[in-house]
Amino acid sequence: MNGIKVDINHLKKGEVNLGTSIMAVNFKDGVILGADSRTTTGSYIANRVTDKLTQIHDTIYCCRSGSAADTQAVADMVKYHLQIYSAQLPPNEKPTTQIAANVFQEICYNNKEHLTAGIICAGYDAKNGGSVYSIPIGGSIHKQEYAIAGSGSTFIYGWCNENYKPQMEKDDCVQFIKTALSEAIKWDGSSGGVIRMVILTKSGVERLIFYPEEYQK
Amino acid sequence: MPGLGFDNYQRNQFLSAKGFGQPMATSTGTTIVGCKFKDGVVIAADTRATAGSIVADKNCEKLHQLAPKIWCAGAGTAADTEMVTQLIASNLELHALAQNRQPRVITALTMLKQHLFQYQGHLGAYLIVAGVDPTGAHLLSVQAHGSTDIGKYQSLGSGSLAAMAVLETNFKEDMTKEEAMKLCANAIESGIWNDLGSGSNVDLCVMEVGKDAELYRNYLTPNVRAEKARSYKFARGTTAVLRESVKNILDIEETVINFTSTADAMEVDA
Amino acid sequence: MTNATVASEYSAEVNHVPIEHRFNPYSDNGGTVLGIAGEDFAVLAGDTRQVEGYSIHSRYQPKVFNVGDDIIMTANGFAADGAALIDRFKNQLKWYKFDHGGKKLSIQSAARYIQHLLYGKRFFPYYVYTIIAGLDENGKGAVYSYDPVGSYEREQCRAGGAAASLIMPFLDNQVNFKNQFEPGTDGKQKKELRYLSLDEVLELVKDAFSSATERHIYVGDGLEILIVTKDGVRTEYYPLKRD
Repeated sequence: MNGIKVDINHLKKGEVNLGTSIMAVNFKDGVILGADSRTTTGSYIANRVTDKLTQIHDTIYCCRSGSAADTQAVADMVKYHLQIYSAQLPPNEKPTTQIAANVFQEICYNNKEHLTAGIICAGYDAKNGGSVYSIPIGGSIHKQEYAIAGSGSTFIYGWCNENYKPQMEKDDCVQFIKTALSEAIKWDGSSGGVIRMVILTKSGVERLIFYPEEYQK
Repeated sequence: MPGLGFDNYQRNQFLSAKGFGQPMATSTGTTIVGCKFKDGVVIAADTRATAGSIVADKNCEKLHQLAPKIWCAGAGTAADTEMVTQLIASNLELHALAQNRQPRVITALTMLKQHLFQYQGHLGAYLIVAGVDPTGAHLLSVQAHGSTDIGKYQSLGSGSLAAMAVLETNFKEDMTKEEAMKLCANAIESGIWNDLGSGSNVDLCVMEVGKDAELYRNYLTPNVRAEKARSYKFARGTTAVLRESVKNILDIEETVINFTSTADAMEVDA
Repeated sequence: MTNATVASEYSAEVNHVPIEHRFNPYSDNGGTVLGIAGEDFAVLAGDTRQVEGYSIHSRYQPKVFNVGDDIIMTANGFAADGAALIDRFKNQLKWYKFDHGGKKLSIQSAARYIQHLLYGKRFFPYYVYTIIAGLDENGKGAVYSYDPVGSYEREQCRAGGAAASLIMPFLDNQVNFKNQFEPGTDGKQKKELRYLSLDEVLELVKDAFSSATERHIYVGDGLEILIVTKDGVRTEYYPLKRD
């Protein structure tokens, strides 16, 4: 089985594609997700300020790559499942990142023939702190300390492997993601625009945005 | 079994192989745009519909009503944009009635994207959805496969590149209604002149918070038909009369009633 | 190719269509042309829009040319082939003069020569519909039209290119009076043929092009008409709609 070949055959004509650079990294106080903001149809940039970091629950987010339509539909389904699930939980309890990631995995695996979706699910919960799950195209699931995905990620495997440190400080982690994504954007034609980040900790959600004139230095 | 049947798929494959392809659908090789302003949103469209390289309709309507204050502009397959828009308009009204609330733009968008996703891109509808609701003014877009985008200005269709060039250079935050109308009209005009799939006139719709939506049908008409140099009236009798038959489909009867009455006047009171 | 993971009902269709990587040497640059012969004149008109797909390459790219010896020529379809064909003919006409002491080439000789230019590329044709116009040896207007591989015919009028199918029936009716009968003869007697005046022809050409512009997306921007009379070749230009 050749994953790439299958992927190319599967992309429908004129489909909006998230040729993407996305990542999520655990750090001392939780987890940070990062993404570029480019959406393309062929060679045309259909949206240069896309938000690929999608909220699934209060402090659970996902990074989407692949088909825009497929990943949005899957994210909407998971969001719906978690709403129903959390309503049945005792008060003050929230779904864990693991639960969310497993719902993603289930949907991606069961519908693998119709989906082009590469998802990173990351979140903060009181029980486990920050956690990162990667759900690549076939519908498998991988718990990782950090995850990178999308077409731009191929260019930064080496750099990330060399420079990742466990339990980073928040500022160091932001800098790590910013540098990694700016390299991915630099080398990958279908990634670009601004760098968006979401920081998930016990104190909630914080959003960051970095413009090209800053991250390109 | 409810839903679509694919029984004819095999037959169509066979027919295609024999050289009988699918009939061509009227496509609105189109320019459509939308743009937010200080307290509302404007959408606009050109009015050309094409079938291949022939202009099928010189003044078609690409602005559709989803709800009184939610409108959308459609590009792609004309029939799909029209039908999908009518279906969602109906469901949106039922939903608003059931909830006893004003319909929201996000509701319309969610219904559209879920419907289009179900059809996996086979419904060729590309829509810019805009409107005002209790949560404010909104501008969104949906693509045939079911993906959606948010933005302060958007363009779709074959003329979207020409239109986006205008939007990217001239868009400002917090424009007045008039500025936004002008910007949208300019963006559409750019499509009309530079994209062969777009042409004729500009239609425009303004939705402002707290006000009724205003539709400006043929807001600009920069392509009035040129007057002909010659008259093409044919002298009576130029065409031969091959057969003539007159059928009596009604028998007329006339009865004259004389009203110079000698009858008694009506008794009013005894 | 492995087909292990894509096993949907219609996946076979995807795998059986090979992706073609061959270079396509031709393209369609749109535009339309029209030639009419009168009693002592001939006109050849063409719009000045050049396109590819949904894009306009030029709003003023002339495609009707005075090639010399009071012959006007156009080759409509694939613009590069059209230009190449006309260049080749002009060049050959120059050499004809060198070789024959400046002798004037008659329109029927030009017509036959162009047939050979076209047929010479029988298996890699010039992708064009060619029309030439001029005056014959009796001073009467002449229009010759060709298919891409050189089959040709002398005609009273001919439309070619993108909107040919829109204009040709109009010409049949207005120039050759097809489907028109003398009033009062109950369709027994066809309307009598007569030569149209230059003014009438020019009006017909303008109306044909403004109407084609309305309904065909590859036609528009400008109309350039070349007119051949005993006094030589003259050019007129009229703007067309630009949408």
